[in-house]
Parts: sequence; structure tokens; C-alpha cells
Amino acid sequence: MLETVIQAVVNGLLIGGIYALVSIGVTLIFGVVKIVNFAQGEFVMIGMYITFFLFTYLGIDPLLSLLVSMPVLFVLGALIQHFLIRRVLGPNDMPQIFLTFALSLLLLNLSLLLFSANYRTVHTFYSDEALHIGGIYIPVAKLIAFVVAMGLSGALWVFLRTTDLGKAMRAASQNRDVAMLMGINPNYVFAVAFGAALALAGAAGSLLMPFYSAYPFVGQVFVLMAFVAVVLGTLGNVIGALVASLMMGIAESLGIQFVGADSGLIVVFAMLLLTLAFKPNGLGGGRVR
Amino acid sequence: VRDVNKWSLLVLAVLIAVLLVLPQVVTSSFAVEIFIRILLFSFIGVAWNLMGGYAKQLSLGHAAYFGLGAYTSTIMQIDFNISPWIGMIAGGVVAMLASLPIGWLCFRLRGPYFTIATIATAQALMLVFLKFRDFAWGAEGTTIPNLGSSPLMMQFETKASYYYVVLGLLAVGLLITYAIEKSWMGYYLVAIGEDEDAAEAIGVNAPRIKRDIYMISAFLTALAGTFYTQYIYFIDPATAFSFSISIEAALVSIVGGIGTLWGPVIGTVLLETTSALLQSWLGSSTGGIQLTVYALILMAVILWRPTGLMGMLNDLLQRRAQHEKPAQARTVL
Repeated sequence: MLETVIQAVVNGLLIGGIYALVSIGVTLIFGVVKIVNFAQGEFVMIGMYITFFLFTYLGIDPLLSLLVSMPVLFVLGALIQHFLIRRVLGPNDMPQIFLTFALSLLLLNLSLLLFSANYRTVHTFYSDEALHIGGIYIPVAKLIAFVVAMGLSGALWVFLRTTDLGKAMRAASQNRDVAMLMGINPNYVFAVAFGAALALAGAAGSLLMPFYSAYPFVGQVFVLMAFVAVVLGTLGNVIGALVASLMMGIAESLGIQFVGADSGLIVVFAMLLLTLAFKPNGLGGGRVR
Repeated sequence: VRDVNKWSLLVLAVLIAVLLVLPQVVTSSFAVEIFIRILLFSFIGVAWNLMGGYAKQLSLGHAAYFGLGAYTSTIMQIDFNISPWIGMIAGGVVAMLASLPIGWLCFRLRGPYFTIATIATAQALMLVFLKFRDFAWGAEGTTIPNLGSSPLMMQFETKASYYYVVLGLLAVGLLITYAIEKSWMGYYLVAIGEDEDAAEAIGVNAPRIKRDIYMISAFLTALAGTFYTQYIYFIDPATAFSFSISIEAALVSIVGGIGTLWGPVIGTVLLETTSALLQSWLGSSTGGIQLTVYALILMAVILWRPTGLMGMLNDLLQRRAQHEKPAQARTVL
């Protein structure tokens, strides 16, 4: 019994690392640019397809393809911010919500048109490997994904804390007008933040590929999880999103283990509804808006 | 001003006359099916627009009420043999009641996170209907028993009859919107949509107004659910609670002109006509093309014309009015 619980917790923690990459991206964009990116999941999907095609046609290992998917998505993110998002920033919610929503709809259906609804998988030499520690079973691919995800999250945190650009980002997120008066160029900072968030989504895609299938709707699974984690972890808070994502992963895995294989989504919705009912400001408190 | 009123009344009268004779003149059932789709989604858009357009509470979870309406009338019809006409009203009431706890949860958040909460609640309701097969047939759904021509059970032999039913629904929706637009509630809604905090500061009871308009919007959306189920003789959670219904409700309103009486109708005419044309050109086999085009139209509207087609039309009319009466316009200025 105890072993089953520990195994479920380990499984949840490992996938929670991937959720964290997606939610940190969502919360970073929300914190700095002040919009919610409904298309974040579709960028995970793009990262997965990049990884899939690099592996299938060039034989590049998914871990190495991080070096492609992350920069490509960073540039894509900066371009999207500069040419699309920048035009709808302001006090009005409607264009912001529906621009990123339209982007999500567009990317999803374009990939359906281009790649069809087929499931694509990548089989690496470590896809089937696993470590056995005590009675606990740890798949190598998931462990690698978790470790790299935590490394990238940590790197982002260090970047936000120590570099000038990171500090400028945090300043712009706290008070855009004062930051501008201090000589911070908001358009530049926003483009970097959006690019960094998309690079994290791309990394999540590459890391997922050795043990998860790519298909046009795959992003929806992760983005829903990320939205709940971002609310739970207090909007705009990177550490909160990280901790909440790991919790979500564990909760989902316990749900699958003890309630039923298809109960993952129910656990997610239950957590969202409970959060809204009792802690609408997230576990850490703070503002709703 | 009186001149303009006379003209718009005339246009309205012609429009009503055309809509009434349309299914008598056009007999192709393919065309009538498209008309029914246009009227149905116009009606859903009108229901969405009351809350999403005027009060800017941007829900992407209206499928919840569509599904509740559909299931309420179907369960009443199959298990208790009650006419869907009564079931339709009952479904509306169920949706209204359901909107209270759902609204209580979702209105805790504002802006985009309100939108996400509405998506999640609609998806959660779909899961409930998928899971509990005892009272609602689970994932397989069920067909509605076909009684032939039975107007009292909302079953008709001709497509034209369904056309008139949904035309009636749309008329009700538009009349309610018109009445609300002209009343104090309409002004309160717009005030909340502009700036909720400022509206509250001048004494608008925002939580109450939002609750009330959500109930009205949910009620109307549920009527559409009953109609649709009766029209296609089939119900299952995936169709009744389909996310695409939530999307289309918002899309037609935004493309047509958010927070305007006729916006959802014009938006639906454009989107549904585009979709019908695409289907006849490319065949229905190419999955994804319809929503790809919808997404491009939506992006274009948001980036270049956030006021939608109605905004474009108004600009055009104003420019023409100024062009015709330059002297008068100058004295006014």
C-alpha cells in the first residue's frame, strides 16, 4: 500500500515537472505582459512536432533537439509579441483574450490540416529504460525530463533575480509606468518575456517526446493543467506556479491510482473549483486580478 | 432623427417579410438547413452577447447551459413523456438555477481567468454526464424517438417548420436584448463592461447585475439546446456540451460586433456562409479548415476592427450621412 502511494507520488512529481515548465511560462507572461496566453499549450505541441521531425528525418535525439526547439520558439514568441500582442495591450480584456484564443485555434487547426490527427511517437534507446530503487520504478526518460525541467526553472529564477534584464522584467511586472520612467523599454522586455515563456513551452515539448505522443490536441491537456496551477499558485508568481504544478501532478497521479484511470481531468477540475471556492487568490494570497 | 427611424423600421419590416417567406421560396433542403444553422447560432450568439457583449463577461462555457437545456427536455420526454415544449422551459429554468453556483464560483475571478473558469465548469459538467450513465445514457447518448409529424412534441415533417421555430426563438432573443438595451439594466451592463470598479463606485450593484444577466443568458442558451436536440433527434455529452458551441457563441458576437443588438446575427451570417461555401468547395473531409478560417477572421477583426462588422457598418453610414448633409453636419459641430 505504502509502496503504491510512493510510486504514485513519484509518477506525479515527474510529470509535474513538465506541467511546471508550461505553467511558469503562463505565469511569466501574465506577470510581465499582463495577458493570459490561451495558446501556450499549442506551443508545447509545436515543440513536440519539431522534436518529432528532427528525430524522424535527421535522427537527432530529443534532448539535443532542445537546442533547436527552445531558440525557435523564443524567436517565434518575440515575433508574436511584437507583431500581434503589442497591438492589443491596454485596459480592454476582450481583444487580448480572443487574440491569443484565436492563435490557439489557428495553430491547432493548422497542425490538424498539415500533420493530420495521427499520434506520432519517438522511440529512443532510453525510452524503455527504468531505474528500480527499493520497490519504486522510475522511467529514465521521465527522470531526465524532470531534472532538465527543474534545471530550466531554476535558471529562469536565477535570471529574474540576478541579471539586469531579469530585474527589468520584474520591475515592468510590478509597475509598468514607473519602469518606463526608469528607462526600461517595455516592448523589449515584453518580447523577451514572451519569448522566454514560449521557449519553456518548447522545452516541455522536447522533453515530453521520448515518452508521450504528439498530436494536434496535445497542448490542451497541458494548458488546462497550467491554468489551474497558475491560479492555485497565485497569478504571476513563478515559484507559486512551480510548487502548484508539482502538487497538481501528484494529485492527478493519486487520482489515477486510486479513483480510476480516466479520473485525471476530474481531479484537475475539482482542484480548480475548490481553489475558486475557498482560495480564489491562490494558496499564497495576493491579488485576484 | 425621425427620418432614420422611419427607414430602419422599413428595413426591419422588409427583413421580417423576407425571413417569413424564405423557406417557401427556397425549397432546397440543403439551403434550409444552412438557414436553420444561421438562425440557431445567431440565437445562441444573442444569448451570449447579453452577458459577454454588454457586460464584457467573456464566457467560453455557454455549452454548459446548451447541454443542460438539451438534457432536461430529453430526459423529461423519454422518461416521463412530457412535451419538449414544456421541457424547453424547464431546461431554461434548470440552466438559470445552475448559473447561480457556477456564477458564484466564476465571478470570483475577472478578465481572462473568468473565461478559464467558465471553460472548466462546462467541461466538468460534460464529464459528469459522461460518467453517470444511470440517468443520462453515458457517453453513447441516445436517439430521440421519432413520432413522425407531431407538432405538440416538437417534431415536424418539414425542415421549414423547424426554421420557423428557431426564427421565433431568435425573435424572442432579439426582443429581450432590445428591451434590456433600452432599460436601466442595459446602462448598468455597459457600465460594468467599461469599468467594473468605477461602476460599483457610482452605486451599481455589479455582483447582482452580473448574476441576473447570467441567469437570462443561461435561460436563453438552454432553449437553443432543446431545439437542437429535437432537430437532430440525438443527444450525447460530446455534442450537447461541445466546446465548439461555447466558441461559436462568442465568435459570432465578436465578429459581428460585441455588445450590439444585431452583431451576433451579422457575425453568424458571415461565418456560417463562409463555412458552408468552404464545405461545398472542399468537401467535409478536410478537418480543421473551417476553424482555421474562423481563427483568421477572428484575428483580423480583433487587430483591425475590434468593433466588428456592426462597427464597420456604422462608420460607413455615418460617413455617408455626413457626405449627404455637409452643411447640417457643420452647424452641429
